[in-house]
Amino acid sequence: MIPEIGQFALALALAVSLVQSVLPLIGAARNNVIWMRSATATSILLTALVAIAFAALMWSFVVSDFTVLNVASNSHSLKPMLFKVAATWGSHEGSLLLWILILVVFGLGVSLLARNIPLKLKARTLAVQAWISAGFLSFMLFTSNPFDRVFPAPLDGQDLNPLLQDVGLAMHPPFLYLGYVGFSIVFSFAVAALIEGRVDPAWARWVRPWTLAAWVFLTLGIVLGSWWAYYELGWGGWWFWDPVENVSFMPWLAGTALFHSAVVTEKRGSFKSWTILLAVLTFSLSLLGTFIVRSGLLTSVHAFSVDPERGIYILGLLAVAIGGSLTLFAIRAPEMEGGGLFAPISREAGLLINNLLLATATATVLFGTLYPLLLEAVTGEKISVGPPYFNASFVPIMLVLVVVMGIGPLLSWKRADLRGVLHRLKWVAGLSLLAALVVWYLDTGGPALAVLSIGLAVWLLGAVLTEWASRIKLGEAPLVESLRRARNLPRSHYGMVVAHAGLAVCMIGFIGSSAWKSEVVTFAEPGTHIEIAGFDVRFDGVEQLRGPNYVSRMATLTVFRNGAYVTTLKPERRAYFVAGTSTTESAIRTTLAGDLYASISEPAAESEQSKWTLRILYEPLVVWIWIGSGLLALGGVLSLTDRRLRVGAPRKRTGPGSIPVAAE
Amino acid sequence: MIWIIFSIIASVVFLTLAHSGMCRKTSNLSRRDSASAIYADQIGEVEKDLERGIISAEEAKAARAEIESRLKAIDRQSDGGEPMVGHSGRVLVLLAALTVPALGAGLYWQLGSPDIPSQPFAQRTGEQAEARKIADLAVRLRSRLEADETGGPTEGWVLLAQTYMRMGRFGEAADAFEVLLDRPDASSALVSQYGEALVYSEDGIVTPKAERAFDRALELDPSNPAATFYKAVGLEQAGSPDKAYDLLKTRMEAEEGFRPWMESFAAQLNRIAPSIGRAPVDLAALAPSIPGPTADQVAATEEMSDEDRQVFIRSMVERLANRMKENPSDLDGWMRLGNAYAVLGENENARNAYGKAQKLAENLSQTDPRKAEIARSLAELGA
Repeated sequence: MIPEIGQFALALALAVSLVQSVLPLIGAARNNVIWMRSATATSILLTALVAIAFAALMWSFVVSDFTVLNVASNSHSLKPMLFKVAATWGSHEGSLLLWILILVVFGLGVSLLARNIPLKLKARTLAVQAWISAGFLSFMLFTSNPFDRVFPAPLDGQDLNPLLQDVGLAMHPPFLYLGYVGFSIVFSFAVAALIEGRVDPAWARWVRPWTLAAWVFLTLGIVLGSWWAYYELGWGGWWFWDPVENVSFMPWLAGTALFHSAVVTEKRGSFKSWTILLAVLTFSLSLLGTFIVRSGLLTSVHAFSVDPERGIYILGLLAVAIGGSLTLFAIRAPEMEGGGLFAPISREAGLLINNLLLATATATVLFGTLYPLLLEAVTGEKISVGPPYFNASFVPIMLVLVVVMGIGPLLSWKRADLRGVLHRLKWVAGLSLLAALVVWYLDTGGPALAVLSIGLAVWLLGAVLTEWASRIKLGEAPLVESLRRARNLPRSHYGMVVAHAGLAVCMIGFIGSSAWKSEVVTFAEPGTHIEIAGFDVRFDGVEQLRGPNYVSRMATLTVFRNGAYVTTLKPERRAYFVAGTSTTESAIRTTLAGDLYASISEPAAESEQSKWTLRILYEPLVVWIWIGSGLLALGGVLSLTDRRLRVGAPRKRTGPGSIPVAAE
Repeated sequence: MIWIIFSIIASVVFLTLAHSGMCRKTSNLSRRDSASAIYADQIGEVEKDLERGIISAEEAKAARAEIESRLKAIDRQSDGGEPMVGHSGRVLVLLAALTVPALGAGLYWQLGSPDIPSQPFAQRTGEQAEARKIADLAVRLRSRLEADETGGPTEGWVLLAQTYMRMGRFGEAADAFEVLLDRPDASSALVSQYGEALVYSEDGIVTPKAERAFDRALELDPSNPAATFYKAVGLEQAGSPDKAYDLLKTRMEAEEGFRPWMESFAAQLNRIAPSIGRAPVDLAALAPSIPGPTADQVAATEEMSDEDRQVFIRSMVERLANRMKENPSDLDGWMRLGNAYAVLGENENARNAYGKAQKLAENLSQTDPRKAEIARSLAELGA
């Protein structure tokens, strides 16, 4: 009965979304308040209905109701409870339902939280959001229904891909989708503005919190996925330039460009069409990602559905959404009024360069991702575009971006004094040169790119700190005055400082772990010693253990350095008996200086059961990636909580901000 | 119960929507108010930035002038006149509120299966116990057969293999059949069942090994329909759908009247036919009588012990039930499934199956004997 309630709720949800697609839009055109307001009621209903469906599906997974086909194919009665819950969105159908749930929750958020937005813009935005909901609800109901039933039910389920049974991955899709789908609301705002024919600084202000929220979620989603790949796949890599990773990275790049461009629209009224176009493109890239992953176009861990009917349906949705919005853009963009003027050297120009570089970087990734697919479709030839392509194309663009990033925040609006800025950064430049030289001295054999990149990471970090120090007049004014200034600096400014510093920290991690990685792969027998990066690793043997739905073979590795005991690593190989597959559980010793990473595979040969394939890596500085990514997300959150975003709900300011300043 | 819940949900949806149309509040946050608030706030920010010393007095002045000109600009832009709340507006909202439950119910009618109950795993102890019992029996039977110095009786191995098939352990089923291949009493049916087990264990692929089994089955009995069927599947997988089509068609035409296996033949033929531009076959033309178990099958069950017979019938029923999952529009299949459940005394399942058949039979002509048959069976089952 419960699955049927879910099914019924979804059917109603599709009907409600159709009403919401039309009524508020006519209302806005005819100036009818009731029709416009109906969007609030429908968005509440839509969220409630989809939430009922989601809860029904989750219930079916939790109690292992195998009359639901989706549960029978993706779960098993022996599976640990956490993964039963996570299995709700682990399958193709379930993940779509999560996608839609997030979509309607964002719609609800706009209809309830955005009290300062004019009714017309809100009605149109919610109508556009409902188009997307209707598209995806119908896609789900007609091609991938999560509530398809089986009767009589199979006695037990077929389990979920054990690789996907992992805490990191259980949380990865929800965050990734919060980001992907979060950009839908920005897209809806952009299309609504195009329908209305008006984009102004106020519009940019209304949209900013949604862009930031989506960006933070997407950042976390990508990092969780990367972290999962790092410790679960057993290769010690954190980014493979795999198409599935790329498709989540492209909306991130475009989204990053988007909110930088939106700042200019908000502050100066310029870059209007640029901002709108980026809003459309960011969500289009999210849709493209959904299409590439969901259509089974790729054969990788993530592409778990191979069904052309689905692919064609999403392709249709994609064509309508992207084609329609770009057509609308082409019609409306020329009507947009130009904004404030600015000199070639100014904050605006800096942000323009930022946008151009990010857009180029996105295009580079897009090309590298789609080219092999197109080539295969046209000629049937299978090629893979891997790290060499991206290192040669994407990385240099980003390095230029980093140079600009150091300077940009120091430039003032309209017209800036580049010479003065560079003068202020001379110490930073010297320091980064020194850092590069030190790295070169320590490791002359290392790749030139790494030496350069380390220099640039230091440059960025230094420039960010210089900017902050000059804002609070550190060293120029008395310390008390500087502290007061530091407290008074708006939170969005701290958001920028923290996020930019986060990127610098990430860079150090990227470089350290890829340029100075050491790796040993060997056949080991109990008693074997392996030397790596100054560690002495002793392989003590393998024991067999039994988990809830797997059998584990756990190796014991004792690690010494200079004869002293350091730690014990216990990498595992787990065989899942129902699904009939194995996973690697690596063991990692993490320090700020680097990770010692161990994983174990099958015995070398059937005949040599005591010889195991061991992979041991030392990855310097890898933990900096996770710290830096955390800072990036934290920066977004800081900006998001800036008081200035809460316009329209005026609140009396209390505390230090209201103290008048005596001297300036 | 389920219909009550559906009605409640539908009514709540209707009422919420209808209420939004009846709402008398007409406050309309216009763009002018809203944008002015933003710009006023921006001017405030400029002042504060000036206080904080982030921008110079000159910059602040320019920024202020720019924002003020934006403020003036919104006054120039009209907002499309006064908001209106017409009577007609309410009617349309009410209409939408009525359409939503109707549309939702219509969709549900297409997609839902209201008659399938939920079956949480924890409530299925009976089935689990039975499955464990069968697994136990299989283990015991196997060890007895393996311990037998004469190699164990053929029927025993067949029973074991069929039990494995039913448990979904196709590889082990194939192993059990394989023991019998060299025996003089290895019949065509047995060899083709072996082939079938191989196909199942390879996820439906007819491997060369399986193909050899079907060839041998056909050597022993050229009329073996199962072997013919899988030969055709193999041909199609090897890229010769034409040959597959011919093979199936020829075999069907060799028969006078209807045979139960023809349904799967016809389904296969009709699946292949459009892609190679050949004519589909009409099963109804082949005397749509109600096929039960064949005489041979009945005779076979009579020689078995009670327990074996139950197991045998169960295995048949479950295989049929599985087929029905893949092909739920098969009217005759549902009727046979209903009949089989009735024989097993599972009246609830029987009623369900006949219920499905009744739905499918709605479009048949009144004179179709199957209609009467379904009605009679349902009456007997007390539905």
